[in-house]
Amino acid sequence: MSQSSLKNKSPFQPLDRAEVAGMMQSRFGIAPEAFESVSFYRRGRNVWAFSLPEIPDLGCESVGLRFMSVRGRVPKPTTTALQLFGRYATKNVVDLSSDRAEKFVAGEGQRLPAQVEDGYVVVTHRGDVIGCGQYLDGELISQIPKERRIGNDGACNGSSGGGCR
Amino acid sequence: MEGLERYRGIVQDFERFVEAMAAPLPVTARINTLKTDRDGLFCRLKEAKVAFWPFSWYPFGFSLDVEKPGNLIENLMGHIHVQEEISMASPIILAPKPGERVLDMCAAPGSKTTQIASIMENRGLLVANDPANNRVASLRSNCERAGAINVVVTRYDGRRFPSSKFDRILVDAPCTGQGMARKDFSVLGRWSLKRSLGLQRLQRGLLERATDLVKPGGTVVYSTCTFAPEENEAVVSWVLDQVPGVFLEDASIGGLEGSPGLLEWDGFRFGDEMERCVRYYPHQNDAGGFFVAKLIKE
Repeated sequence: MSQSSLKNKSPFQPLDRAEVAGMMQSRFGIAPEAFESVSFYRRGRNVWAFSLPEIPDLGCESVGLRFMSVRGRVPKPTTTALQLFGRYATKNVVDLSSDRAEKFVAGEGQRLPAQVEDGYVVVTHRGDVIGCGQYLDGELISQIPKERRIGNDGACNGSSGGGCR
Repeated sequence: MEGLERYRGIVQDFERFVEAMAAPLPVTARINTLKTDRDGLFCRLKEAKVAFWPFSWYPFGFSLDVEKPGNLIENLMGHIHVQEEISMASPIILAPKPGERVLDMCAAPGSKTTQIASIMENRGLLVANDPANNRVASLRSNCERAGAINVVVTRYDGRRFPSSKFDRILVDAPCTGQGMARKDFSVLGRWSLKRSLGLQRLQRGLLERATDLVKPGGTVVYSTCTFAPEENEAVVSWVLDQVPGVFLEDASIGGLEGSPGLLEWDGFRFGDEMERCVRYYPHQNDAGGFFVAKLIKE
């Protein structure tokens, strides 16, 4: 297979950065400048974030980071995307105590009063992003992928309070 | 200690070496500067009452007193990557710069890949290549957790990697893994000269291809986690003989104890320039065993 045929067959289609940044701004209040040096591509129902404006001329299995899924009614950011860019969020952020964070990383849902709109939220612990949650009718549902969850016997053993940021 | 006796003549303090090989490895991790910084991470660990000890030789590495570091929330957040201390040496010698084009030819499971991405500050291009289908999943998962957006994953046989040009290439070659015996004791029993020589063919092919793919003035780092000279100096010296215009630079790191590469082995002379390679033995830094060579293309 020649290189040019690989390039032509690239399943990654470039997306308008402003469009993706706009979604992150309207939901999380993240300024578009946060994505200034990021290019976005779509493959299937996923949006990928990559460092370069062109995909290299190689047979690529993956390109950068899986950024969001556009499968559902509203786009759903990945936990790893929020871990990278969620620090710039100015709304729809839920900060958890250590006890609650432990439940969240175990994949458990929990009732929780929070000043956020229903939908996907940035979930933090001591100001650092843990990942993506879904807030619905007063309940926070963990969106941490199953294979990354930490069980209740895990070592998520921090004391509550304090702050490192 | 099967297979180690052959190194009695080349390892200083051989008894201490054998003793260290029988002891378990300390738990160590690296700070992922794509997502946090040293002060922030150490503050989190203190608040979580996790005991830790920063390395003296590398500001982003530390050992910690935790049975399952993979269960720390800091690991889920991608703030740390659990990684053996000595394996952090080869990306440091590679010394990539933000914005460069870099190839990690044998990348899975991605510890060194994510370290390179972090040194590159998520800019430029890092091609993480590995032909092994069953190892690509862990490579991709580690890159995602690290938050690496400058990585593309490819699955070529490194010896036939398509023509393209890179500023720096890491060849962390498949090897007999004797230096990892403290993690998996069975590697020593599986070692044989035949296996070393079989891998040598592959290692020579990978390193030779890397010297083709690197730009003039570029750097190729060759590393293994084995002690066998057949897979280390015998690979590097063969490539230096085959490829004109490639020479060795000093691969040592200040504060990390190592021994110079071998000038000869089993009656075969590799050449005096081999002293610029570095061999790391487990008793020198209470870590794993490792070999690093730094090649420069004119």
